[in-house]
Amino acid sequence: MDSKKVDVAVIGGGVHGCSTAYHLAQKGFKTALFERDYITSGSSGRSAAGLRYQFGTEVNILLAQYNMKCLKTLGRDLNYPGDLEYDPAGYLWIAYSESQLDQLEKNVKLQNELGTTGSKVLNVKEIQEVAPHLNTEGMLGASFNQEDGHINPHTLCFAYADAAKELGVEIYKKTSVTGIITKNGCVAGIHTDKGDWEADAVVCCAGAWSVEAGRWLDLDIPITPERHQIMITEPVERMKHPMTLCLDDGSYWKQCPNGTFMLGVGKDEVKDTSFYASWDYLDAATERILPKMPVLSGIRVVRQWTGPYANTPDLQAIVGPTPVEGFYIDCGWSGHGLQFAPSVGRIMAEFVNGEKPFIDVSMFRYSRFEEGELFFEPACI
Amino acid sequence: MTRKMIKDHPILNFEHEKKKVVKFTFDGREMEGVEGEPIAAALHSNGVQIYRITPKQERTRGFFCAIGKCSSCFMVVNGVPNVRTCVTPLEAGMKVETQTGMGILKPEE
Repeated sequence: MDSKKVDVAVIGGGVHGCSTAYHLAQKGFKTALFERDYITSGSSGRSAAGLRYQFGTEVNILLAQYNMKCLKTLGRDLNYPGDLEYDPAGYLWIAYSESQLDQLEKNVKLQNELGTTGSKVLNVKEIQEVAPHLNTEGMLGASFNQEDGHINPHTLCFAYADAAKELGVEIYKKTSVTGIITKNGCVAGIHTDKGDWEADAVVCCAGAWSVEAGRWLDLDIPITPERHQIMITEPVERMKHPMTLCLDDGSYWKQCPNGTFMLGVGKDEVKDTSFYASWDYLDAATERILPKMPVLSGIRVVRQWTGPYANTPDLQAIVGPTPVEGFYIDCGWSGHGLQFAPSVGRIMAEFVNGEKPFIDVSMFRYSRFEEGELFFEPACI
Repeated sequence: MTRKMIKDHPILNFEHEKKKVVKFTFDGREMEGVEGEPIAAALHSNGVQIYRITPKQERTRGFFCAIGKCSSCFMVVNGVPNVRTCVTPLEAGMKVETQTGMGILKPEE
C-alpha cells in the first residue's frame, strides 16, 4: 500500500476530533483527520447539545468558563457561514431531595468562587418565574444560569471541520482506521482501509469507539458504551422555558430555537454502540416529562434517535498522553462532552506540542484508574 | 351557500345526501359542512383556500397533499395547533382557525 505522511493523525470526526485537528493546524502541525462514516455521525451529532457553566468540580468549571466564552462567538470567529444556533435560554437543574439541593448549592458556591457569573440557587417560586410552564410539585429548589443553553451539534462540528480544512487539515471521511503502527514502542502511523499514513502522533477522539483503538496498543481504555435516546417534537412558537433537568429521574427537555422540543430521560439502557431506538422509550420519556410540563400534552413527536454515551468508571473524561509514546486520548466524556470541544481541542494540541495545558487536566489522566484515583463530577447524570 | 362539491363522480359515490350536515366556525364565521368529511374539504366547499400563514416568510398555505403528509393544511382546531385538517374528520361545533406561525401551545383549561 502507498504511504502518506503527516505529523498528527486524529481518529474521529466528532466535535472533539474536529476541534483538536483545528487547534493542531493552528500550531503548524500537518494534520489528517480520519472518520469512519461522516462528520458528526457518532455521538456528537446525536447529542442533546446542552451548554452549561454549571459543573461541580474545579477543572470542569474552569473548562466550562472557557467553553462558554468561545461558543458565544465561535461561528463568527471560525468564519462559518451557517448558524451555530447558540441560544442562552438558561439551564435549570431541579432538586427533589435535600441532598440533591445541598449538592446544587455546593456546585453554585464553587462556581461563584471560581468566577462564574450568573449561577444561582432558586427556590420554587423563582423556578416558576424562569420556567412558568413547569409543574413544581415535589421540587425543592434548583440551580440556574441564564447564560447556559443550546447549540446545534452538527453546525458546531462542521464549523470546526471547515476551519480545520481551511488551515490545511486533510479530512478523510468514510475512512476507517484499522490499526496503529508502532516502532520501538512509539506511535509511527496508522492503518486505514484506504491505506497507511505515517504519523509522529495519533490523537484518538473516537468516543465510545476508542476502546477498540486502545486494544491495538494493549491499552485498556475503561469505557462502557451506553445507549441514550432522544425524541423531538413538532415545532411550536417559542415559550419561556429554559433547558430543564430533573434530578429525581434524569429527565430533561428543552425547546430548540426552531421551536421543536427535545425530550430525554435517563433509564436502564443497553450497553452498546448500536443506533437502534426502542419503542418503549416513548412511554418512558412522556410518562415522566408530561406531568412535569403539562402544556406539552398533545404535542406531536416527530422522531427519535439514539447515540452512545462513553461512560468511564467515574463518569469523567480521559484526556492526555498514554503509556504509548505519541498516542494521546480525548474520550470517555460520559454524556457531557460536546460542550468541551473548544477547551479540550486546544488542550490536546498543547499536549501534542509538548506544552503545559492552559488548564490543568491531570485529574483526567489515563492512569488514574490503575492508581485508584477516581474523580467524580457531582454535576453529572 | 355554494357548496363546491362533486355530486356525480364516474367511480366514487360520496352519498353526501345520506350524511349529516353540521355547523362549525372558521375564524369566527359560522359555516356548514358534512360530518365526518375532512375539515379541509368542508372549508374548501365553503370557498376557504388559505389555511395557514408560514412562520418565516409569512406566505399563505392551503390544501395540498390531502393525505396528511405535507403540513400545508395545519390549522388551529378547538385551540390545538398543527392539526392536519386534510385528514381530521369534521365534527359539529368545531372551532377552526387560521394558523399563523408555528402554533401556540396553551395550558389545558
